[in-house]
Amino acid sequence: MRILLVEDDQSVADYIIQGLKQSGYSVDHSADGKQGLVQATGENYDVLVVDRMLPNVDGLTIIQTLRASGNKTPVLILSALGEVDDRVQGLKAGGDDYLVKPFAFAELLARIEAILRRQESGLTETKLKVADLEMDLLAHKVTRGGESFNLQPREYKLLKYLMTHAGQVVTRTMLLENVWEYHFDPQTNVIDVHISRLRHKIDKDFDKQLLSTVRGAGYMLHDPEMA
Amino acid sequence: MLNSKLLFSYTFRFMWGYVVALSVATVVMVMAIHTYFSYGFYISLGDAIEDEMAAFEQTYSGNSLDEVNAYISERADSNWLFRYSYLILDREQNKIAGNLDEIPQNSRPHKGGWLRFHADLLNSYFIDFGSMVPAYVIKLSNMPNGDVLLVARSSNESMAIASAVMRALMQTMVVTILLGSVGGAIIARKSFQQIDKVNRSLKKIMTGNLSERIDVVHYRGEINQLAFSINLMLEKIESLMEGVKQVSDNIAHDLRTPLTRLRNHLCQLQERVDNANDAEAVGELIDEADALLSTFNALLRIARIESGNRRSGFAPLDLKIILQDVVELYEPLALDKSISMHYDFEDQLITNGDRDLLFQALANLVDNAIKYTPDDGRINIELEQVGNKARVTIADSGIGIPKEDADKVFRRFYRIESSRSEQPGNGLGLSLVLAVLNLHNADVQLSDNQPGLRVEIELGLLNRTTLA
Repeated sequence: MRILLVEDDQSVADYIIQGLKQSGYSVDHSADGKQGLVQATGENYDVLVVDRMLPNVDGLTIIQTLRASGNKTPVLILSALGEVDDRVQGLKAGGDDYLVKPFAFAELLARIEAILRRQESGLTETKLKVADLEMDLLAHKVTRGGESFNLQPREYKLLKYLMTHAGQVVTRTMLLENVWEYHFDPQTNVIDVHISRLRHKIDKDFDKQLLSTVRGAGYMLHDPEMA
Repeated sequence: MLNSKLLFSYTFRFMWGYVVALSVATVVMVMAIHTYFSYGFYISLGDAIEDEMAAFEQTYSGNSLDEVNAYISERADSNWLFRYSYLILDREQNKIAGNLDEIPQNSRPHKGGWLRFHADLLNSYFIDFGSMVPAYVIKLSNMPNGDVLLVARSSNESMAIASAVMRALMQTMVVTILLGSVGGAIIARKSFQQIDKVNRSLKKIMTGNLSERIDVVHYRGEINQLAFSINLMLEKIESLMEGVKQVSDNIAHDLRTPLTRLRNHLCQLQERVDNANDAEAVGELIDEADALLSTFNALLRIARIESGNRRSGFAPLDLKIILQDVVELYEPLALDKSISMHYDFEDQLITNGDRDLLFQALANLVDNAIKYTPDDGRINIELEQVGNKARVTIADSGIGIPKEDADKVFRRFYRIESSRSEQPGNGLGLSLVLAVLNLHNADVQLSDNQPGLRVEIELGLLNRTTLA
């Protein structure tokens, strides 16, 4: 997996590069917008991580230029501008996801993996499976060990998102953005309550705990025996 | 509404004052002119009668009674206006000759041989001019032989002229008042419209659209100059605001980045420490850094919302859906504290707004309600239409807000003393709520729910016909 990082702040770049390398990605870095655009056009990357404010050519222009030339490489935009207008602008320009600084590395990694996963699962799956937990997307049925249980619509959506990103860390903001579909900043960890309710339903009667909390990052649904 | 505003406008009132003053001046002038004319006419009428009396005396003294009669009838046949009346009486007041039968009633002798009429008589002519009842100015002359000569002439002539002058002046005055009021109204309306336009533009600008300008057609006229100066001032304010925004954006970029780095280094450090105690301590440091960052983010967020440039993201929203989402997200949190949530939402209340921001504001309020309501409490959330507004009420049975703090809770970093120690938070939640509501031109009111806090928000509704 090859990632191109276009970021002018050297220490942020160093940190991201180091983190991504530890997670098994190979990373190219460009500190200049113009150079970044040339690199992105010339080589084949799996994901681009582009800062919005860059010297010479800004991040949005890079994405627009790439999209205009037919390049569909997924792009994660990084920005210190934290408002929805900017987010909308970024996504309109052709970005796939938008991450506001400051962010925890776990958040960045989770989003990169989510983007890659979205690329892979281009085919519409009808069944999701994590260990013995199964979700039938057509029948809207969830079973664990063959035993079915009822979920509220939102719980179903939450579980579906977690199962689609099984094995990945999913952050609280990712859940708010994708399951509740609001970009907002909760004062309390309301999400925790929903997660513990869901956990109560899917994990309570089983030895194998599938839904775990990742400290300082978010949650992960995975088969512990697979790791 | 415009008309009543127009009537109370300064220009219109000023114009009216001017018209009234002008009318009073005209009335005084008309009176003076009338008096002057009447007086003049009476003087000349008196002179004419005296001349005629002299001629009549001469005719009487040197001629026979027949000749006197001939003189009288000749004079009586002349032009009506210059027609004189004559009477000759003997010592016993018996008529000797003349075309009058007796000395008119209602008259009494006045000095110099003039007869004076009761003022009412004259006045009645003055007022009831149309009836043309003849009025006479009369002079008597006592002859040496004891006979009395009388010459009279109608005063209608002078009355007619004086009244014509009076009438003309009155008409002029009516025209003056009419022209004055109409002209005043037009001028007042024009200046009122100009000022009103300036006023409306300013209101629009005050509610957030700083790029709006007042139309200035040309530089002439003080209102245009005022508008021009206001535009210059707005230009200046806008550039200053832009500067502030730039600074806060720079702060965002320059300060949040190192803060992120600090946090990231702590994360790396946490992974390297083996000692569980140290890991715990580093974890606490990370939490501190997160709190700092979230406060910082919240401040920037409020500043950006207040600058009002987010209205571009406005769209028609069904408030019920947003409230249902808020309730759905927060209800489990309330249930954990055994707080019962009751809600009643009216359908089809559509407002124009920013979905994420309204959700944020309502979520903050519900979050607060849950935070400050003790276990087994109750929270009511209602959405209803009141007039042409949608009212959202969030009422809890919690500790409420002391009266003296009600105004202050929306201030940045303000926290009620009792909550400072007990509840987590940065004191920015309600500031953010207020910023969002201001952006939406919504009113918010805090009151005592006895016990607890009652928050009422009123949002403008989108006209349903404009939606279709």
